[in-house]
Amino acid sequence: MAESEEEVDVLVQRVVKDINNAFKRNPNIDEIGLIPCPEARYNRSPIVLVENKLGVESWCVKFLLPYVHNKLLLYRQRKQWLDREALVDITCTLLLLNPDFTTAWNVRKELLQCGALSPQKDLYLGKLALTKFPKSPETWIHRRWVLKQVLRECFPPEPDRKEQVGGDRCNAVERLRLGEHLHRVLHDEIKVCANAAGRYPSNYNAWSHRIWVVQHMAQDNLKVLHDELSSMRQWVSMHVSDHSGFHYRQFLLKCLVGALSLSPSSSPQTDARGLSLDCQRRLPQQVNGEATAAGSCPRSPEEQPLVPAVLFLFQQEMELCTDLIQSFPGHEALWCHRRHVFYLWHHWRRDHDHHNGKGCQSPQLNHTDAGLICHPRVASPGAVRLDRADSRNGPACESQDAMEVDGVPDPRDIKRLKRCLPGPPVLPSEHGFVASILDGCRSPEQGRFALAYRKWLDSVIGQ
Amino acid sequence: MGTQVKDVVIKPDAPSDLLLDKHADYIAAYGSKKDDYEYTLSEYLRVSGIYWGLTVMDLMGQLTRMNQQEISDFIKSCQHDCGGISASIGHDPHLLYTLSAIQILCLYDNVHILDVDKVVEYVKGLQQEDGSFAGDKWGEIDTRFSFCAVATLALLGKLDAINMNKAVEFVLSCMNFDGGFGCRPGSESHAGQIYCCTGFLSLTGQLHQINADLLGWWLCERQLPSGGLNGRPEKLPDVCYSWWVLASLKIIGRIHWIDKAKLRSFILACQDEETGGFADRPGDMVDPFHTLFGVAGLSLLGDEQIKDVNPVLCMPEDVLDRIGLHPDLLS
Ligand SMILES: [Zn+2]
Repeated sequence: MAESEEEVDVLVQRVVKDINNAFKRNPNIDEIGLIPCPEARYNRSPIVLVENKLGVESWCVKFLLPYVHNKLLLYRQRKQWLDREALVDITCTLLLLNPDFTTAWNVRKELLQCGALSPQKDLYLGKLALTKFPKSPETWIHRRWVLKQVLRECFPPEPDRKEQVGGDRCNAVERLRLGEHLHRVLHDEIKVCANAAGRYPSNYNAWSHRIWVVQHMAQDNLKVLHDELSSMRQWVSMHVSDHSGFHYRQFLLKCLVGALSLSPSSSPQTDARGLSLDCQRRLPQQVNGEATAAGSCPRSPEEQPLVPAVLFLFQQEMELCTDLIQSFPGHEALWCHRRHVFYLWHHWRRDHDHHNGKGCQSPQLNHTDAGLICHPRVASPGAVRLDRADSRNGPACESQDAMEVDGVPDPRDIKRLKRCLPGPPVLPSEHGFVASILDGCRSPEQGRFALAYRKWLDSVIGQ
Repeated sequence: MGTQVKDVVIKPDAPSDLLLDKHADYIAAYGSKKDDYEYTLSEYLRVSGIYWGLTVMDLMGQLTRMNQQEISDFIKSCQHDCGGISASIGHDPHLLYTLSAIQILCLYDNVHILDVDKVVEYVKGLQQEDGSFAGDKWGEIDTRFSFCAVATLALLGKLDAINMNKAVEFVLSCMNFDGGFGCRPGSESHAGQIYCCTGFLSLTGQLHQINADLLGWWLCERQLPSGGLNGRPEKLPDVCYSWWVLASLKIIGRIHWIDKAKLRSFILACQDEETGGFADRPGDMVDPFHTLFGVAGLSLLGDEQIKDVNPVLCMPEDVLDRIGLHPDLLS
């Protein structure tokens, strides 16, 4: 075992090298971890690579961390010079062991600014750190900074872009390439968020990052919003305690309702596709190949916003919520979700009626089926079919359940929806729902949450 | 089907008396293990760590046991040319540690050892066009940083240095339908962020913008059968969240809405009778962070062995009296 300062130095330098060599040897490493191992084994590196997992034997960490820690701080105080390659290696080791070491991420920001590191490489390091530390605030903060650099690269600030906008062919091709690139970055980022959310329940940093990503990279992109809502449906059904996951759904719902409710006359920036120019700049619709949901939807100026689509979304969400509350009694997150969805629906309806000067029972429906058909991503009612009998055993058992998400809505559903509008519940039916839950309720928590919901309806909605 | 409520069970033999001497010994000894691996691991937040330790010592009337000279010199050496203060020597400056440093020096009544004008410039320079604050020059935005900015300036008597209307506007844009606040517009309500935002609105004289009944309701729903408070629905109770929720309730004048006796016994059960200090939950490892928030929480609950704590700044009231700073509270 290394004891003298010199011996420790030699040992640690070798380990730092081993770690970085492991990354060079296997660029597909997808997880890091600590291997419990109190003693060093003679003449063997403490860095272990098994398939795509990189392990560090625990005995070496107490030498390794102080060494890279001090080295970086000496550099930061200009007491010791390190070249760029050494800085890349040292910050990598340091951040895999202690990802909240803000200054080490800052050093990497500087390396990225001077071109010694690529955004991709840095996003990758963060992704690995999150496999072991899924909450690490500084790792998420650094990712947002890197993503902002990527966005800036794809869409330079206004003055530089002026010449491009006129758009010759060359520029169009370049824009398409950038759009595809950005789409991949967005897709990868969502995957990183989903992974971290799976590793730590109600992971605030992971979910608020996902919101940031959508806000900055796909705010008004109906296709992305629909895809996210659709994939989240299964996720929340299997994580019924995860309030952050439900909050993300609420966020998506709000974005979608906002985007769908934009009336053409009130948004001069909107083009024929009903998408703001701003959002196309962020993520061109055409990058996804086929015409997307909103892309094929013609709309004349006098037409109403996509009322049926909005109603459909709310109805779907309330149905999902009812389903989950009945299947998994006593989960506060589900009741909180119901509050927010009903609140959104209640206010949307009120605002909508206000604008139309109409009674609230019948929102004007001069829109045809096209309103729905052009949104195939709106999952049809009951699109997720949980086998009720099996799912009673709890969320863990559900993964094997047959799950059908998505697809084109059944025409019968559209007819049904048109016939019995408004689909989503109104205040009296919510009271009915509470009564039905309380009736024969055997879970004291479920009863408590149902009563709290009733009180909330009375005092917040019914005032 | 059984429901598993996420909560802890307090064992009958859990501590139920306040062990102040043990806690003072624990904090006094904490800083002496400087070669510790754990100590290295937490260096990135050192200045905040010192603030937690000193504040809890002051609340317990034991501030004199800490080395004022050494700490003051250290803080001074953490100020950078830009005016900002870093967590430790060689680390980069950040608003989080700038606030902690000013709080520490207020406890010692020696803020003048820093270049105060430069601190004000630093904070001012981090305000963005939309009124929000970046945590440092790299631009991360969070309502926590809005709080750090106004708390720092309030302690220095320099609130007029920033665009206050814009700053308020941004924080209000992070308010949610449940009356709570998140880190950015659209983010989930979170007790820590709510503490920052209610504290911010208190320091800026804007508490009337809060729907106190609605927010108070959400905050009260954080109390679990064990008496402890969590920070969001279906999370475990935690001593630090107990402070953030309790302090927010105090700021908006709704502290009497929770069961104080039950919360007190939860906090007391988080003490370690052998080592001293508080953990997040009964039986876990203690640390200075939860020790401060345990003691501060008991102070807000009216424990007379502890000095009165200010709910907005988490500092002893007598220190704020000396400065003449009295943040608004709703009644
Ligand atoms: Zn805690």
